[in-house]
Amino acid sequence: MLRLAGISKSFPGVRALAGVSLEIRPGEIHGLIGENGAGKSTLIKIIAGAYAPDEGEMTFADAPARWSSPREAKQHGVHVVYQEFALFPQLSVAENIFVGHERRNRFGMVDHGRTRREAGELLRKLGASLDVDAMVSSLSVADQQMVEIARAMVHNVKLLVLDEPTAVIAGREVALLFELLRRLRESGVSVLFISHRLDEVFAICDRVTVLKDGRLVGTGGIADVTRERLISMMVGRDLGDLFPPRAATARGEAVLRTEALSVGERVRDISIEVRAGEIVALAGMVGAGRSDLALGLFGAMPISSGAIYLCGRRVPSMAPARAIRLGMGLVTEDRKSQGLAMQLDIAANISAPVLPEVTRRGLIDRRLESDIAAQQIERYRIACHGPATNVATMSGGNQQKVIIARWARICRSVLILDEPTRGIDVGAKAEIYRIMRDLAASGVAILMISSELTEVIGMADRVIVMREGRVTGELAGHEIAEESIMQLATSERAA
Amino acid sequence: MSAAVGARRQLPPWLRNNAGLAGVLALIGAVSVAGAVASDRFLSFNNFLNVFEQTTDLALVSIGQTLTILSGGIDLSVGSLISLTSCLTSGLINNNPDRVMGVVIAVLALGILVGFINAGLVVALRVHPLIVTLGMGAALQGVTLLYTLGPVGRVPRGFNFLAYGRVDGLPFGAVIAVLLCVLIALLLRYLPLGRQIYALGDDASSARLVGLRRTRILMLVYGASGFCCAATGLYLVARFGVGQPYTGVNYTLASITPVVLGGTLLSGGKGGVIGTLLGAFLIALLNNLLNFMDVSKHYQLVAQAVIIILAVSVYVERRRTV
Repeated sequence: MLRLAGISKSFPGVRALAGVSLEIRPGEIHGLIGENGAGKSTLIKIIAGAYAPDEGEMTFADAPARWSSPREAKQHGVHVVYQEFALFPQLSVAENIFVGHERRNRFGMVDHGRTRREAGELLRKLGASLDVDAMVSSLSVADQQMVEIARAMVHNVKLLVLDEPTAVIAGREVALLFELLRRLRESGVSVLFISHRLDEVFAICDRVTVLKDGRLVGTGGIADVTRERLISMMVGRDLGDLFPPRAATARGEAVLRTEALSVGERVRDISIEVRAGEIVALAGMVGAGRSDLALGLFGAMPISSGAIYLCGRRVPSMAPARAIRLGMGLVTEDRKSQGLAMQLDIAANISAPVLPEVTRRGLIDRRLESDIAAQQIERYRIACHGPATNVATMSGGNQQKVIIARWARICRSVLILDEPTRGIDVGAKAEIYRIMRDLAASGVAILMISSELTEVIGMADRVIVMREGRVTGELAGHEIAEESIMQLATSERAA
Repeated sequence: MSAAVGARRQLPPWLRNNAGLAGVLALIGAVSVAGAVASDRFLSFNNFLNVFEQTTDLALVSIGQTLTILSGGIDLSVGSLISLTSCLTSGLINNNPDRVMGVVIAVLALGILVGFINAGLVVALRVHPLIVTLGMGAALQGVTLLYTLGPVGRVPRGFNFLAYGRVDGLPFGAVIAVLLCVLIALLLRYLPLGRQIYALGDDASSARLVGLRRTRILMLVYGASGFCCAATGLYLVARFGVGQPYTGVNYTLASITPVVLGGTLLSGGKGGVIGTLLGAFLIALLNNLLNFMDVSKHYQLVAQAVIIILAVSVYVERRRTV
């Protein structure tokens, strides 16, 4: 169906794909796995026609494919459901399904009746019961995914690419999705299924391909590989090397504690504590409210009720400036939009939260700022051309180190890290883990949000699991395992 | 971004895009009540017809502006295009009745052409419409001043029918504006490209990923805006009897006000032209009321500002993050 030969793609500062070859057969479900940053997203964007490869050949249905736009790929029968859906929140379900291919009457005008009717039929065929008039912004994530898949069915889809479809849905919804994928396979549609959950890959895929650091590690039939083999192919080394040993020291007092804390509209009744020297992981599905909780703790999202205690003293009202004064730090999930000033240099980014410290007589002392940055660059081995390097030109891993260096220097009480290793390579990951461990050893309380189970298991002294805005359980020591975490993160609420 | 759990009851799609209508209608009601208290002549049919007539120019230009804003952009060249088209109209007709038809068609075509160039530059140079149309506005003002430095030409007596004529007692120009508005409202709803304007304004990157043809959508949108500017230019010539090089200068920013008052999101993707028409009517009505109350022109501007900011602060969906 689809054959890729020697595909390479580079972006400024990163080689995202290097000579990747891949074949997807007609009517198979092909798993594509790899860690974050392995190049999966780039690869599917090339398949989708959103990026052009720098090198390499692509053939689709036995014809050379050089697609210049997603539109062209779609016309050939390739449909991609991205992790961030390409939906229009303010249009209805039916309108979203047919956008760009509006159902028309004989005058060429939009036929609203037909649009709604055919949308309903499509959804019924997929086994979904959705109100076709509902605005997409009001749907659950699983339903939004269904709208995306229904949209693929409008065209004569031959290859359906699903980018981590199960990262946002759970339990019964996953089962329904798999049921649907099997039916598609029977009708001859090929599916490229991207995931980093091995259980799912074993459950649904016929063959699996592993990418690592932009290179192909291998492809094989699902019956021919073991779980352990896939993990070592993905990680490229033993997990033991990646994670620094846990410190055996006794934990200190509770530095951060919350009492029945509710944040925004979704996070409810959170009572947790993080002690000095401890790394606590906050696990759960995307959308469980973990990032909202982090923003609430840092005062960046309004707290609707409950209390935050820092070192035993209640903080009456939290705001980012106060949080920083109290020695807190927050490494946000999206370093580009919520962490770094991309157009500024390293020095300016590191001093951003503590400008008064580098201000002399009302003016910024660039030399002092630069000296501080130089120290951090050396300490955290940030690859760059010195403190004046523009962060936009750096690789993801080094950008992340800049943010961590910023907070590690001034953070005395609590450091919150939201997906600290998303989209960075294994080497940088190992270093970030080491930095986190060192910080904990110096007495800082660390709260780490992570959706990567290997990371949670490898780093956390304690795991708090959230689901739909509430804490569903807490695990420590030997209880910390993939199965127990997933169960708390996804299971229907216990009666 | 995950959606809220639990489906809220939905408005039917045709009403949903006009949810702002309730707000602007309520404001029109409020101003009318205030007017009735202030003067017994305010609520008369004749006064409303007057206000309706005074809405024409702002309505025409704002209807086009609504489209550019819905698509996620904006057109800042409208003022200069109005000035240019009005000068060309009276300059080229130059009191010769035989030329009226040809010049009117040529001027409307010129408006569309300028819109196409705006759209083409946005697509080809990948520059935000704000910048492209700002530049276009400056260039067109320059061209206008090259053509004339003061009032130019004349139009035959009958031309003012567009501004002052009455058909069955209704002001002709305003009726045209309403018909144009209804036509565009129908096209937005029934033309596939109309639907795609909303999609593009709602999420441009999703629009790309589902293969919408941005070029076509923007051509339509900016072309329509240019057409509306040319129509406004013609109307102003009819009203003043002559084209002037700065006649449109205030319309650039003024054209945004009715759009916003009518409930269209400045970020695009939601709203519609009927709201804009009512928004333009609201502004004319407010000015009319203040005239009745003998409030000076300067305070009228202040009153407008207050209404806009209040109205928009009511429409805005409160964001959760601080």
